[in-house]
Amino acid sequence: MRKELIVATSLTVTIIVLAYVITLGSGLGPLFNGIRPLAEVYLRTTLNPSQPSFTAMSPEGVTAIVWDYRGLDTLFETAVFYLAIIGAIAIYRGVSEKVRLNGAGVGLSMIVKVVTKVLIPINIAIATSIALHGHLTPGGGFQAGAAMAVIPMILIIAFSRYLLLDLKISKEVALAFRSIGLAGIALTAFVPILIGLLSGVNAYIMQNQLKADASFSLPAYLGDALVSGSLILYNISEYLAVTFGFSMIFLLLSIEEDIVKEQMRGDGVEH
Amino acid sequence: MELNIDLNAFLANISLLSLIAIIGISLYGILARPNIIKKIIALTIFTDAANLLAILVGFRAPPSQPPVLLTIKPSPEELQSFSQVAVDPLPQALVLTAVVIGMAVNLLIIFIALQVYRLYGTLDVRRIRRLKG
Repeated sequence: MRKELIVATSLTVTIIVLAYVITLGSGLGPLFNGIRPLAEVYLRTTLNPSQPSFTAMSPEGVTAIVWDYRGLDTLFETAVFYLAIIGAIAIYRGVSEKVRLNGAGVGLSMIVKVVTKVLIPINIAIATSIALHGHLTPGGGFQAGAAMAVIPMILIIAFSRYLLLDLKISKEVALAFRSIGLAGIALTAFVPILIGLLSGVNAYIMQNQLKADASFSLPAYLGDALVSGSLILYNISEYLAVTFGFSMIFLLLSIEEDIVKEQMRGDGVEH
Repeated sequence: MELNIDLNAFLANISLLSLIAIIGISLYGILARPNIIKKIIALTIFTDAANLLAILVGFRAPPSQPPVLLTIKPSPEELQSFSQVAVDPLPQALVLTAVVIGMAVNLLIIFIALQVYRLYGTLDVRRIRRLKG
């Protein structure tokens, strides 16, 4: 205990003294002094109707980069997410369970259950708003999915996983919804090419607004509302994919340990 | 004694050095602790410190604002002043996906650790190494 205290104190003192010396010597130096020219291009074109072939038509610079300027990056990040969850399912392959009791009478106390019931609609509203406004305000499909994935988690903790199974939210249902989300992303990526082929216009994969040699462009406005072309579609699809991907993981993680061990022993494999 | 230094620069330097120290501590945790769960905890600390460092690289000295336009019909002057004060959005975009993907990958690692515990009855890497399986 004493040793750790000494290490922590000396580390803190070292950092403060070092920071003081550096500040005396050079201040901040060139750090934080302006941004790179690339960032300036992104900032100038993120919502700039006067440059139609460069803009992403979204006032939110981060979402414009995530799904438009560097959309392919995000597409493959989503592939990593997909593979991580597939890996987790593969570890649990063959583990099945029969529902032995319904959700009544298990879980935490009455107070926790009531508070959970109050919180869930609020949580759904916030998560959906983060997803639908992802192209206007900070947020988007990833964050909305992470916020929404809290719901199955607190349901499992407060009410037990059998409530989710009673509500017919099983691993297979979550897998189906996640696949719908992923299919939505793929569809949004391929729609420009399909429409381009059908109508004879030049178009690229994952294209949002028109480019210099491709006049195809998804609608940036729906009526009066700014929807930023493909960005809102990507955000909603990613919202579905992330929410149900995490729900599936939590459902798997909460299978009773006895059931899993029993089934593993049933394999008859010596480890 | 009077401290006539730039306070903003001092605080920024403290946060930079602290992040470097946190990265060092978490690397020690990943390499030196024998328990897999402690390795995973150190790994998440490492990920978060790296993400924070990436965000910090894109920061710019005050006056600065987030890379979000506050109007949906900007004039050229507004765009000009926006690009003069907004922070770099690129590191934020990269970190945004990295956080959620990192969470999924962490869950996969935790599943593997769980499976290791079920099969071997221990999470100590020194004992797992000696086991034949």
